[in-house]
Amino acid sequence: MGVIVKQVELSWLDRSYVWPVMKGMAITFRHLLRQITTPSAKRFTIQYPDMKKTMPKGYRGLHELKRFEDGAIKCVACFMCAEACPARCITIEAEEFSELNFTQGFEEKRPKVFRIDMLRCIYCGMCEEACPKDAIWLRNEYELAAYDRLSMNYGKWDLMNTYAAADGKAEIREDLLPAVVRGPVAL
Amino acid sequence: MDTLAHLTGLSVATLWMLAKVLIVITVLMGLASPLTWVERRGSAMLQDRIGPNRAALFGKWRILGLAHVVADGIKFFFKEDLVPPHATKRLFWLAPMLAFVPAMMGFAVIPIGRSFVAGGHTYHLSLLEPGNGMGMLYPMAIGGIAVYGILVAAWSSNNKWSILGGMRASAQMVSYEIGLSLAILAVFMVVGGYDPHQIIADQGAKGWLIWRQPIGFLVFFTCMFAETNRLPFDFAEGESEIVAGFHTEYGSMKFAIMALAEYFHIITASALITTMYLGGWQIPFLPNASALATVVAFATKVVFLCWVFIWIRWTLPRFRYDQLMFMGWKVMLPLSMANLLLNAYWMRSH
Repeated sequence: MGVIVKQVELSWLDRSYVWPVMKGMAITFRHLLRQITTPSAKRFTIQYPDMKKTMPKGYRGLHELKRFEDGAIKCVACFMCAEACPARCITIEAEEFSELNFTQGFEEKRPKVFRIDMLRCIYCGMCEEACPKDAIWLRNEYELAAYDRLSMNYGKWDLMNTYAAADGKAEIREDLLPAVVRGPVAL
Repeated sequence: MDTLAHLTGLSVATLWMLAKVLIVITVLMGLASPLTWVERRGSAMLQDRIGPNRAALFGKWRILGLAHVVADGIKFFFKEDLVPPHATKRLFWLAPMLAFVPAMMGFAVIPIGRSFVAGGHTYHLSLLEPGNGMGMLYPMAIGGIAVYGILVAAWSSNNKWSILGGMRASAQMVSYEIGLSLAILAVFMVVGGYDPHQIIADQGAKGWLIWRQPIGFLVFFTCMFAETNRLPFDFAEGESEIVAGFHTEYGSMKFAIMALAEYFHIITASALITTMYLGGWQIPFLPNASALATVVAFATKVVFLCWVFIWIRWTLPRFRYDQLMFMGWKVMLPLSMANLLLNAYWMRSH
């Protein structure tokens, strides 16, 4: 199978090589002038620690566990996210709590432990899609670094408060209602 | 000067020579380091980048990335001085010097300004006095030696990439040096001598040689790129093909000297081009300018040409190896030959 090679006929000016070099130099010099006269805020380069890019709306960054207005967790510990997670990085332990409360949508189950191993997470957003309660969101924070592996294990209260400061909400460190330990149910 | 000569017990000529050597070496050294800055920041700006700007003096003043020059120097200085176990140690140590010294030596005959008379003495602003019998043949001879630095570095490294780079450098030198010599020959012929003072005086009287011999200038200019081992002709380095070519095995201060030698080559080449084709220290339309003004004019031309070297480097991609061979033998050589013959014919008919 032959390949048809396109022969480009160059004019004598182009073949001289001197004129194209000068044209090229003109191009690079134009870029130099443009780059020098552009203020550094408007250049292509985002000088990272000093300047930060605003992330697009659908960006999948650090997770947040959403809360109701009174501060109760939205998650009902249904394990859908843990099942959907391809990296298997979500660990949930469920617990029950006592009184039914209207603002919480008559739920009586919530996670006791909700842990995401951020070293394993691939930020695919499957947990967000799987969640029936819209309780887990992946949002715009992406600067996740730590000095040891353990601190990359985000627990329930870490995840509840990941965006508290950014949204101007209060940090919560404990559940509104105490958990109820039930005995075995006789069938 | 006379009192200083009296105090030190040296002759005025010796003192002036010492002063010149000191000034030229200091200025060259002082010019090479900012050139690395110009190379890095300038190339960044030519390519819509920003370039190195993070190093700061005492962690405070970034001064446009100029601190990187200092930081690089300190870093190179404190790195481990490693000689690979299979290298030929003596030659490995000698090579950076062989690259460095010829790069600077070429500067010795170049007049950096008009000669002036003060206190009954005539002071010439070139390291070697005019009429020394070597003239412009000297930097050409030294330029021929410069390739030994690369070759010795390549050979002593005992590394296949290095030896490929060294072979390329030597083959390259053979192919451009003939065109270069013929281009220079045309200059010598037109001027009627090879002393740089004579060449500059002739250019002052009859117009710069860049206008009188544009073809010769093109050939000389292109060959100077090959001589300095810079892009588009840096096959000896050729990092996309042979790692880093002749200095693959070099690190720490030895590498820094290799790199500095390249910048000295640029400065010397710029000075040569200035002297041969751009009228040396002449200022256009001001035939009676003072000595100081001529020095400034010379420096301006040299610095501008250094910038052109950098500018072209970041405009053109590297040639293929055989393309330089083609250019050297089939383009440069006939062009410079034609230039020589045309000038000879012109001289005979006038």
